[in-house]
Amino acid sequence: MAFQNRRITIETVGGASQAQPDARDPGAGAEFRRRALFGGAGILIGGILIGGLPRLAVSAPSAAQDTEVLNFALQLERLQEAFYAEAEDSLAATGELSEYIRVVGAHERAHRELIEKALGGDAVPAPELDFGDVFASPESFIDAAVALEETAVAAYNGQATNLTPEALATAARIASVEARHASWARGIAGEAPAPRGSDRAIGAARAQTELAELGLVTG
Amino acid sequence: MTAERLGGAPGRIPLDALDRDGALTESAERLGSRGEFLRGGAVSIAVGALALPGAARAATHNADEDILNYALSLEYLQAAFYTEAERVGALSGRLAEQARVVGSHERAHVEALQSLLGGRAIKRPRFDFQGVTENPAQFRQTAVAFEDLGTAAYKAEAPKIQNAEYLAAAVRIHSVEARHAAWIRRVAGSVPAPDAFDEPKARPRVERLVASTEFVVADPVTRTSSEPRFTG
Repeated sequence: MAFQNRRITIETVGGASQAQPDARDPGAGAEFRRRALFGGAGILIGGILIGGLPRLAVSAPSAAQDTEVLNFALQLERLQEAFYAEAEDSLAATGELSEYIRVVGAHERAHRELIEKALGGDAVPAPELDFGDVFASPESFIDAAVALEETAVAAYNGQATNLTPEALATAARIASVEARHASWARGIAGEAPAPRGSDRAIGAARAQTELAELGLVTG
Repeated sequence: MTAERLGGAPGRIPLDALDRDGALTESAERLGSRGEFLRGGAVSIAVGALALPGAARAATHNADEDILNYALSLEYLQAAFYTEAERVGALSGRLAEQARVVGSHERAHVEALQSLLGGRAIKRPRFDFQGVTENPAQFRQTAVAFEDLGTAAYKAEAPKIQNAEYLAAAVRIHSVEARHAAWIRRVAGSVPAPDAFDEPKARPRVERLVASTEFVVADPVTRTSSEPRFTG
């Protein structure tokens, strides 16, 4: 599969002016750097990035822009679905962690299916995935899960103003569930489930950077 | 506390009317005699109170500001609830931590919305939580209901917001409410994320639920001579 040829950056949906990465939240960057050292090393996912999309300027919401943003969301959901599916297969999890993986994995699958259905023939191809050894221990896994869910929440928040009301209504049904996942994962990891009063909102380029720092995507 | 009630005698609603997925009822069943109380037909625990004062609403002509004021009314309720719980001091351990942190968030949400609305922000009503903040089990159940409701309320309103700045602020609060919901659910022994999709809840329904709790006891324009009991 010549997927490499299809990869472009997801900056096509990354220029959102409303995305205010970490200017007001300097702690978030450090959090991610710490996590990158901890949990992410070894995951390799090639081609999560959106391929073949026109480089639309982020502008007023439109059906075309909805398609672009939903494809970005689709890739995020595919990544998460695969992440939990792999965890279910290869991680010797027990107790609450096992329940978390099973429940959240099913949610991510449902999200992916809904977005795929909404996009129909406009859905971009699925990325090739190649996970490393992040599933070596429950600790490394849950750290990576926290980081992944945090990026997903912030990425959904960052796209809200790019979407038409109809698409936003759909995305919002998913976004808060991602936030629940983040809260749950943080609780399992022994961290504050809700670390700030206002969640981050990031553009797609920033999301890509965070996933790359975790080793969750290449490029 | 003798309370002036809003708008006649609001009907009390059973807990299960608020209980989207049974988590509250499940929790209640673990609470023994207190659970009996929570499950009882006359139970009015929980979700809360947000009937917006008609006067404040009529004064707001801008649709976005009307939405933000609705959100503010919910945040007033939540902030007062957690602030009172912390002040009363009946909670301990993970519950106390949740009340402390979430309370600080809800107060920040109040300030953020007030800041966006400026002089058009509605005033804080008076609340009477009827002892719920003094009972850890009731506090927990009510907090679960509040947070799930808050998430659903923001979700219903966000797509209607026209102003990008307002929308950006609203969605960033929306996801925090969802974190709160998952947090308190986990503390309560319920599944933090019970469904693959969170569903919106329309404003009239939210306001009915809130009114049914009788937690909001006085319109902010009431001519009471006493100070508000809680200032969260």
